[in-house]
Amino acid sequence: MAKLAKQKIKEKIARTYNLQRAAEGWALFYDNPVGKIGMFLLIFFGLMAVASFIPPLVNPMYHPMTGVDPGISNATPPSLTHWLGTDNLGRDLFSQLLTGARIAFLVGISAAFMSIVLGTLIGMVAGYGGRITDGLLMRFADMIMVMPSLLVVLLLASLFGQLNIWIIVVLIAFFRWPGVSRVIRSQTLSLKQRPFIDMARVAGASHLRIIFRHILPNVLPMAFLYMTFRVTSAIIVEAALAFLGFGDPNTVSWGMMLQWVWKTGHMFQAPYWLLPPGICISLITLSFYMIGRAMEEVLDPRLRREEEAAQ
Amino acid sequence: MNLRKLILRRSLEILLIFFVILTILFLLFHLAPGDPVSRMVEPGMTAEDAEMLISQLGLDQPLWLQYLYYIKNFFAGNFGISFHYGQPVINIIGMRLPNTILLFTTSVFLSALAGVFWGKIVAWYKGRPVDTGVTILSLVCHTLFLPWIALLFIWIFAYRVGWFPLNGMITPELWLDPSTGFFAKAADIGHHMLLPLLTLFIIHVGEYLLIMRSSMLETLNEDYILTARAKGLSEKRIRNRHAAPNAYLPVVTNVGLSLAFSINGGALTETVFSWPGIGRELIFAVSNNDYPLAMACFLFISLVVLVANLVVDVVYAYLDPRIRY
Repeated sequence: MAKLAKQKIKEKIARTYNLQRAAEGWALFYDNPVGKIGMFLLIFFGLMAVASFIPPLVNPMYHPMTGVDPGISNATPPSLTHWLGTDNLGRDLFSQLLTGARIAFLVGISAAFMSIVLGTLIGMVAGYGGRITDGLLMRFADMIMVMPSLLVVLLLASLFGQLNIWIIVVLIAFFRWPGVSRVIRSQTLSLKQRPFIDMARVAGASHLRIIFRHILPNVLPMAFLYMTFRVTSAIIVEAALAFLGFGDPNTVSWGMMLQWVWKTGHMFQAPYWLLPPGICISLITLSFYMIGRAMEEVLDPRLRREEEAAQ
Repeated sequence: MNLRKLILRRSLEILLIFFVILTILFLLFHLAPGDPVSRMVEPGMTAEDAEMLISQLGLDQPLWLQYLYYIKNFFAGNFGISFHYGQPVINIIGMRLPNTILLFTTSVFLSALAGVFWGKIVAWYKGRPVDTGVTILSLVCHTLFLPWIALLFIWIFAYRVGWFPLNGMITPELWLDPSTGFFAKAADIGHHMLLPLLTLFIIHVGEYLLIMRSSMLETLNEDYILTARAKGLSEKRIRNRHAAPNAYLPVVTNVGLSLAFSINGGALTETVFSWPGIGRELIFAVSNNDYPLAMACFLFISLVVLVANLVVDVVYAYLDPRIRY
């Protein structure tokens, strides 16, 4: 009897979360060279972020922000004590680079998560609601979409003073939801026509229940896909802000490192300082972007069909 | 709906959106901590000048009247006096805006053209090594961090090799010399523009290429391509005359959607290359707390994005007859 119940629970889990489909999806994802490269890059940066806690423990002079090598008063090329060299204040560049990975993950994932939650909610409401709600929400989305997010955040920084990293994250999220909500809206519109929604309504489900129990699970994969793309844009906007000198002065991000090398005029003298942060920003955005594209192929059967047709 | 009607309707929509942006900016300006008057009037100004400016901008009036003044002043081109330059803001905008439009339109146009052309060809070789290689290369180009690649180009091509000037838009000595002709001046600007153009091109071309490629693959599955094949048309003709025209549409849509993103990149490029455009001016004004200049720059950048959106819509309607009729 207990065995039967267990079997039933297992079946229910498999049905709800579509485990078999997920496994198939994973196989497809891993088959794709783009997805594989992205995955390995991401693991590499994840290790960097974890390792960022180690250098300050080894020696306080490796602290990315406050640690200064007493014997060094100018930017120095890589050496045994400083694997990637130091900046003009004698701070260790390797340790700064590791910390930058942590900040990039923090900014990227939290901003992307917020904008996805916002975009999915607004998209579902717009798609499910009537014409007026839909029209109003989508016009609002259009308006935010034409605003250059980086420049708006700059303007806000000038009006409201120095922004800390969390305000920057919230602002990035706020300017990045419209793209998501458009996609989710169109998916919701087509889901709305399916019989199971009518059945739920006839069975007496409230609008909220229909949206969260019947529509949400169906649009969730798409939302997750867009999250990977949003991570890249959030990392880029934060890095650009920091590069222009409007980042949080209490954090060490890769954009910040580039600003220091640029503003202190070391860009022609210190390639060991100019190259690593730029390569890291480019590669971490590339990794999320590649994962997103590989996921897109898994989620969108049309793209797969083309693949098969071509072979 | 004919083309003229479409343009009219879209223009009205754009005007409405712009009005909302104007209003939001006004609200932000008054919501921000600190005194709005001190944000428009430079501390160093004489009392009479300051008074005149305050009454001109309506800063001594109640808030609702200030809003009307603000709208009126926008259409009259009166944005106050820049703190840094000590000149009316509108003069500075007038000098900077054409430079931005020159760089921005050239880069968007060239990268869209090249992306479409290469994407079309790459789609034909779907699944072969060329395709995989170009796809990955485009992804890499698309995700390069723009300010960094700009600094790298300056370091390599301007500093180490010395092919291009380090920054700026013109060589002042050449322009001060009265004997310099029009073509020499144009060539000088072109020489300064190549590196920023290359930066923006590399960032954007990959995106357009990838969209054109996938859009092309979608059209290749259509029945009319099969018909064209059955008629015995050459591959080249099928590609260029039957498949490509329909595949252009998503690219055009995407140019419109990514305009705001491109202008972010444009501002960064202008800053790194010291290109005297409006984006650089905005960043510069924000760093110097030059509020009148910063606000006006922002408004004009929004206007550029909106007008560019309109142009994209018209191009779309031109390419897709279903929209027009």
